Amino acid sequence: MDVIDGLGQGFAVALQPINLLYCFIGVFIGTLVGVLPGIGPVSAMSLLLPVTLSGTPESGIIMMAGIYYGSMYGGSTTSILVNIPGEAASVVTCIDGHEMAKQGRAGPALGIAALGSFAAGTFAIVALMLVAPALARVAIAFGPPEYFSLMVLGLTILSFLSQGSMAKSLLMATFGIVLGLVGIDQITAQARMTFDRLELLDGIGLVPIVMGLFGVAEILFNLEQELRRDVMQARIGSLWPSLADWTASKWAVLRGTVLGFFLGILPGGGAVIASFASYALEKKISATPERFGKGAIEGVAGPEAANNAAAGGAFIPLMTLGIPPNVVMALLLGAFIIHGLQPGPLMMTQRPDLFWGIVASMYIGNAMLLVLNMPMIGMWVQVLKLPYRILFPLILMFCIVGVFASGNAAFDVFVMVVFGVLGYLMRKFGYEPAPLVLAFVLGPMLENNLRKSLILSQGDFTVFLERPISAVCLLLAAVALLAPLFPALARRRSRFATEQT
Amino acid sequence: MIRNSEFWGGLFWLAIGAFVIWVGRDLGLGRLQEPGPGFAFYWIGIAMCGLALAVLAPALVSRGPSLASLWTGTRWGKVLVVIALLLAYSVLFEAIGFIACTLALLLVLMWFVDPVDWWLAIIVAVLATFGVWAALTKWLKIQLPAGVLAGILG
Repeated sequence: MDVIDGLGQGFAVALQPINLLYCFIGVFIGTLVGVLPGIGPVSAMSLLLPVTLSGTPESGIIMMAGIYYGSMYGGSTTSILVNIPGEAASVVTCIDGHEMAKQGRAGPALGIAALGSFAAGTFAIVALMLVAPALARVAIAFGPPEYFSLMVLGLTILSFLSQGSMAKSLLMATFGIVLGLVGIDQITAQARMTFDRLELLDGIGLVPIVMGLFGVAEILFNLEQELRRDVMQARIGSLWPSLADWTASKWAVLRGTVLGFFLGILPGGGAVIASFASYALEKKISATPERFGKGAIEGVAGPEAANNAAAGGAFIPLMTLGIPPNVVMALLLGAFIIHGLQPGPLMMTQRPDLFWGIVASMYIGNAMLLVLNMPMIGMWVQVLKLPYRILFPLILMFCIVGVFASGNAAFDVFVMVVFGVLGYLMRKFGYEPAPLVLAFVLGPMLENNLRKSLILSQGDFTVFLERPISAVCLLLAAVALLAPLFPALARRRSRFATEQT
Repeated sequence: MIRNSEFWGGLFWLAIGAFVIWVGRDLGLGRLQEPGPGFAFYWIGIAMCGLALAVLAPALVSRGPSLASLWTGTRWGKVLVVIALLLAYSVLFEAIGFIACTLALLLVLMWFVDPVDWWLAIIVAVLATFGVWAALTKWLKIQLPAGVLAGILG
């Protein structure tokens, strides 16, 4: 099947009324959680994971994907108007976006963010469409050693790029693997770390862990301090950027798009890193770097394009290798697994309707987002005025309901509360939850591929070094692990972590 | 050293790592040609202990933020109350039921934890609780525990 045939089949799926509805719900909720500080795409996706059970797999996945790229769009609104990033990938947009708003140029800032995001999102979908089939053909040749090494690389890079101490991030990754292995052993059927609880035989659920670590922990952390929001009272004005704005932004959008897309594909990468890298790049190559931080439109256009392109690029490793490159994609993998599907190189041939349906829905979703973001900014500003003291009890209630609905077990609510407290303490002590969640999802696959590799090689560890792809992945992982020992690399990493903070 | 938050964090994860090693040995390591169910646990536990020591060791020789400083100037009392409320909710959820538990939780949060006008709290709590109940049970066909209201709700 060629790309055009596939896309035709995809549009036939995506344009079904029910899938259009799910796509709209996804991008709408995505924009909403992007706008609202205190709840991000990870929390929203885990909250809505149980809802996907009621429909077909394609409807559910289309909605989940919509939440992700929708939140990338919505996040810019709060960054520009309130100077509070709605989600992590929009942190950098605050710097120049809010400065533009203070200068009475909120309209062009919001406009270029929406239009740049649209252009980047569209590019990412076209690239996904062209790259994914080729990569899937290569991935068929992957065996257990390659998968094991690729997952090790993903976890190591994510830990390397996390804020603060790398030892702490790796510690979280190892703990995540342990949590992922709780339950019945896939090979010997022996119960592991279940403490004689029947509820743990199937393992700990993804939803209670994620809702606890991100949803409940975020609320506990926010409750500690008064959230102050200073929504712009001035008129937003015309959203359409001027000719001068376009001239200044066009190359920033293009550079951000390409950079973001490739950073999105990399294991451990994602929208947050892409937006920071794009901002750093724009500042570095600008003839007038002193304008950055004082309302330079390139400082909004580049990062916003980059985070949207990264959101699209991140689908490639998931769809072609079955390996999620970041936490959001790990949740999407969870949604696939709940429906009894395994994304990977065979998905394109076995379930082309699903693969191409998701790709086509992303085109439609991007167009919907442009319509949602441009004329409805006034409505999103009103949403921002909803007091947190009303919002947080409701978010807590949705967490409880979402967790209960995912497994129909009150035990899961308890697990969520425990992980909520753990997540809160982790934040206080400077431990990152993202490596934990990614490792939790990858844990069973990681162990399975390790054991299979050792069984196939008769216990010979050199199998990981004899195969070129596996060897390269392990070599890169080793470089990331040893980076703190090299002063130049360690300085670069700590500078990046400080910028992120 | 004893007040250093990094020290206590490292010690906690060292204990968890040691426990994971013990679990791995208990489950059985197997052989390299045929790794047992505890093989991964054992080696991950060792890695955890090594990483925990990497966090702990600097805390032994240098000064870091104290445990108390992590909560200085914060509204930590509210956090404790919310944690207690959530734990109580998770224990009572099945016995008392979704509607009674959720109404009580929302009202306590909006009356006492981070107060809003009492009438607004009632409106939000009632609308949210019954709205979610109706959406889940009627639309998504998900059964929520009826608890003490089982007779009324059917």
